[in-house]
Parts: sequence; C-alpha cells; structure tokens
Amino acid sequence: MPREPNAVDFWRGFALITIFIDHIPGLFWSRFTLVNFSVSDAADLFVFLAGWSLRLMADGGGRHMPTRDVMLRLFGRALELYAAQVLITMLAIAMLALSAIELSNPLLLQWHNAASVFNDPVPTHIGLAVLTHQLGYFDILPLYVVLMLMAPFFAGLDRLAPALTLPISLILYLFVLAFRLTLPTWPVAGTWFFNPLAWQAVLVLGFTLARADYGAGAFVRRHIALLRILAVPIVIIGVCVPLFDWWPDPTDVPSPKLFFIMDKTFVTPPRLIQFLSLVAVGSILFPYIRMLTKVALLRAPVQGLISLLAMLGRNSLYVFCIGSLLSLAGQIVRFYYRGTVASDTAVLIVGIIIMAFTAWLAESRQRGRPARSAPSAQQQS
Amino acid sequence: MRAQDTPTAPAPALSKSCQPGVSALTGETPLPNVAAALAQRKSLRILSMGAAPGRVTVRGGDYTDLIETILHKAIKDVNVVMINRGVSGELAANAATRMKNEVALDEPDLVLWQVGTNDALAYVGAEEFAATLKEQIAWLKAHKVDVVLVGLQFAPQMLRDAHYNKIRDTLRDVAAQENVLVVRFFEAMQIIEQAQREGTVPAADEFDRTEAGYNCLAQYVARAITLGVFAKNMPKRPEPPPPSK
Repeated sequence: MPREPNAVDFWRGFALITIFIDHIPGLFWSRFTLVNFSVSDAADLFVFLAGWSLRLMADGGGRHMPTRDVMLRLFGRALELYAAQVLITMLAIAMLALSAIELSNPLLLQWHNAASVFNDPVPTHIGLAVLTHQLGYFDILPLYVVLMLMAPFFAGLDRLAPALTLPISLILYLFVLAFRLTLPTWPVAGTWFFNPLAWQAVLVLGFTLARADYGAGAFVRRHIALLRILAVPIVIIGVCVPLFDWWPDPTDVPSPKLFFIMDKTFVTPPRLIQFLSLVAVGSILFPYIRMLTKVALLRAPVQGLISLLAMLGRNSLYVFCIGSLLSLAGQIVRFYYRGTVASDTAVLIVGIIIMAFTAWLAESRQRGRPARSAPSAQQQS
Repeated sequence: MRAQDTPTAPAPALSKSCQPGVSALTGETPLPNVAAALAQRKSLRILSMGAAPGRVTVRGGDYTDLIETILHKAIKDVNVVMINRGVSGELAANAATRMKNEVALDEPDLVLWQVGTNDALAYVGAEEFAATLKEQIAWLKAHKVDVVLVGLQFAPQMLRDAHYNKIRDTLRDVAAQENVLVVRFFEAMQIIEQAQREGTVPAADEFDRTEAGYNCLAQYVARAITLGVFAKNMPKRPEPPPPSK
C-alpha cells in the first residue's frame, strides 16, 4: 500500500506540477507559479526535498543498513536517474523530429538545443551520453544524476562524522562561488545551467535538516518559532523582488559578486537564504491545509488536492519524466494552436491528468508486488 | 575616444555562398565601447546569449568560435574572448535578467544577443517583447556595453506565420529606434535560399542549410562588429526595405 499523504510528498507533488507549468514558456498559467512571487522557484524545492528523501534512503527507512549497502543503493539510484535522463532525451528528440515532419517546419529541429543533435550528431551523441549536452528544459535530471553521484560521499561522511557533513558541503559551495567553478557543456560551448557543484548545498541542506535528532535539523526544530519570525520579512521581500522588479543591479555589488547577486545557476546566497526562509514559513502550511478537510464544504476538494499532490510526490521520478515530455508536448501544442488561453488551459488539465495517471499506474504496479516495509508517514514529514 | 586610435582593419570578406544575404543587413552602427576596448586594452570580450546551433565548420567549431576566428584575422594583435552563455529555449525576459548577472560577472564590451525566435514560438506579445528589448538595451547602454542583436531563425514556413513576422518587425523597429546593430538573420537566409533556388549559389539540404546559415551568420556578425568598430559617430541611417515576403 502506498504511504499516507505527508508534507514531503505533498510539496514534492506541488514542485512537479509547478516545474511542468514553468517549462512551457509563455503558457498563460505560468504567470501564477511560485517563480512569479519568489526569488527561488520549484527547482530549489525539488532538490531540497530530494535531499530530504536522501536522508530516508541513507538511513535505510528505519531499518539498520550497512554503509556498503547504502552506497550501492545510492549509486543504483544515480544509475536509475541517468537511464531516465537518456530515455526522456531520446523521446524528446523524437518528438521534435516528428513535429518537424508532421508540421513541415524545420525550425522545430533547432528548438531547445536540438540543432546540434541533428546537424552534428557524431560529437553531440557523445555529449548526450555523458550529459554535457542537454536539451533546453531537460537540464534538471543531469543535475540530479551528479548530485546522486555525490550523495554516497555525503551519506558516508554523515555516518562517520555527521558534524562535518553540512560544513564540508558549505565550504565546497563557497569555494565554488569564490572561484566561479562550474561544469562545461560540450560539443556546444557553454556551462551547465544548473551547476551541481553549487546545487549540492541545497541537497545537503535538505539531507541534514531532515534529521530531527541531531545537528542543524535538531537546532531548527528547537527554534522553529523564532526562525519563522525572522524568515517572514525575507519572504515578503522575496515576493516583492519579482513582483515589483526590485532586482538589485548586479554590477553594483562587491566582489566576489556571486556571493551577493541573485543567480539560479549558482543558487547564490541571497537566493538560498530566501528559499530557506520560504521553507521555514511554508512548512507551517501543510497541517493547516489538512485541517481544511474538516470544513464540510472544502473536504472533498482539499482531500482530493492533498491526495493528488502526495501521489505525484510519491512517484516523483516517473512523474518528473513524463512531466518533462508533457512540457515539450505542451510547447508544440501551443505552437500549433497559437497559445490561446483555451489551448493553454487544455494543456494544463491534460498534462496534470496524464501525470496523475502515471503516478497511479506506478502505484498499481507496486500494489501487485509482494509487500515490503516502507518509510512511515511520520518519518517522511 | 577617437576612431583613429583603434587598430585599423578592413571588413572581413564574406564567402561566396553568404554574399547574397548581405543586402539584408543594415549599415554601419557604431560600437563605441568595443572601439574603446580595442584602443585601450587591445582586447575584446564578447558575451554570447541565445540559442546554440552546434558545429558550423568542418573543424567542429560553433558559430561563436567562427566569429572569434574571423575577428582575430580581421583585427590584428587583438585578443578576442568569446564567452558563451546561451540557454536554449529561453525567452527574452528571462535572458534579460540572466544577462545582467553575466555582464556583472564577465564584464564584456559587447553582448551578442540572439533573440526573438523563442518569444515568437511561445507567442509572447509583440509589445511585451519590445518593452523587454528596450529596457535591456537601455541597461546595457547605461553600463557601457555595446549590443549586437541577432534576429530570428529562418524557415520558409514561418513566412506565413503572422506572429513570427510581427516579432521580426518588432526587433527591427526597436533596433532602429535604439540605434543598435541588428543582424537580420531571417532576411539574409531568405535571400540566400532564394539564390539557391535560382541556382546562383549551390543548393543545400535542410541540415546543410542550417549549418551554412549559421556559418553565414558568423560572417555577418564579425563583419558588423568590424564595421561598427571603425564607424564614426554616424547619424542614424534609414532602414533598408525588407526583402519581399
């Protein structure tokens, strides 16, 4: 049986739907997503919650698991993510090719970094295989793969010297910012849109904060009320920045500039602080959302929303993969139907239905398997 | 800054297959910050934003590599540094926000901004697109960074797309209003394709055409930069009429 809805699955489902919408540029409904009201966006939430889930995986879901088994499990997860990235990239390329043929429009072959795949396939296929060539909007999973390859190190360190896990991650993060280290793309010259060397800090923050009885996680839980009070003004400013275009001029900040500017590639400190503030404030919401089910009029829709988002969150890899392909399909549909509010609404509804069906299908398969112990809802939340 | 302080160089010659498209390009537009950089530092830092087409030369370089090579040859004893920060599929508004960070971090003298195709395909309104462009151009001018806009990608089917053409016109109009250089990629490719149909230049299949198109684009951009560096403070020139649709 799938686990009961909990806050982590709920917010992960929220992040998945938000990423699906945000990855259809120009979609009418994209003006209502988190990125329009926050400096950070659903990508930060997705990676943070991946770190939170990593805690459950590394701790063996309540069972004692030898370190070697944890390492193998994490490497296995990285391999699974890599396979998923290769599969959805190939399907995306096929979708672009099919659309170009069916719509008799070769421009679609140049969309989203696909030009190099068709024009220069020999080196580009090597790039696709080693993740140095990424299609536009198919760049989160490569980040996730690299993070999962780093995860055994952090999980192992956490077992040996848990006090060092977060400091080492943050030292690496600051070093990367100070020297502007990043990963190159190839064969098309450039850099990764999501720099894994910086984004590992978000993953490790999720990983360490998920631990309730030790270190940063325990500290945050002890002082959560005070932290929320401190976080509220930061969240309010974070709302005003995109809403009223309060982005500070990045040329005015002192060096090293990456410490002070708001940048997604390096998930810079202002963005990270705003995100953590959002988490501190937002983490209070789920119990209240659940309480709304006690209001007779709201019971069905709120319960439905919680069940839907939690189901998506429980099956995040499948849903993320199908969501990425649906985003591309949505762009092609918008191109064909010229992006009206009606077609945008249809894209949104059909997309969410297919994502929900994917999650339901994955759980139906799991229900057919022999039962095995799963992390409890309490551990997840 | 006096024009005679800058290194002198003729505009680089265009390859035969790219020559027909030159009639679609606008005239010389000064690039004062690039000229100053060449005179003072003998170096030129170019930040490239926009879609990445992949290889355009047999040796495997992309179109920004080719621009760098041509500029190295055209402007002697100058260190040209090309910084690629293109993100595929990015709308102009998102690129504009990111570009400010990249300008702060890389301190370029010139931004090469391939813009418009994604906004056209995503049906971003022409007014919104124009406002984004104007605001960004003003910001770049205020920060003493020159800009060369690279127009929309070409596909014959898009000639019938009213919104695509509107975004194309908007880009041209904004560039004229703001007196910034625009390399009208679509129009140049349209003329080259017409020349290929008429047999004036060798015909190419779709993939070769894309590759050749970006090869020509690199030549046009390098030529525009060279002309812009040595252009004096010219009054705004009237736009040539667009090629027939």
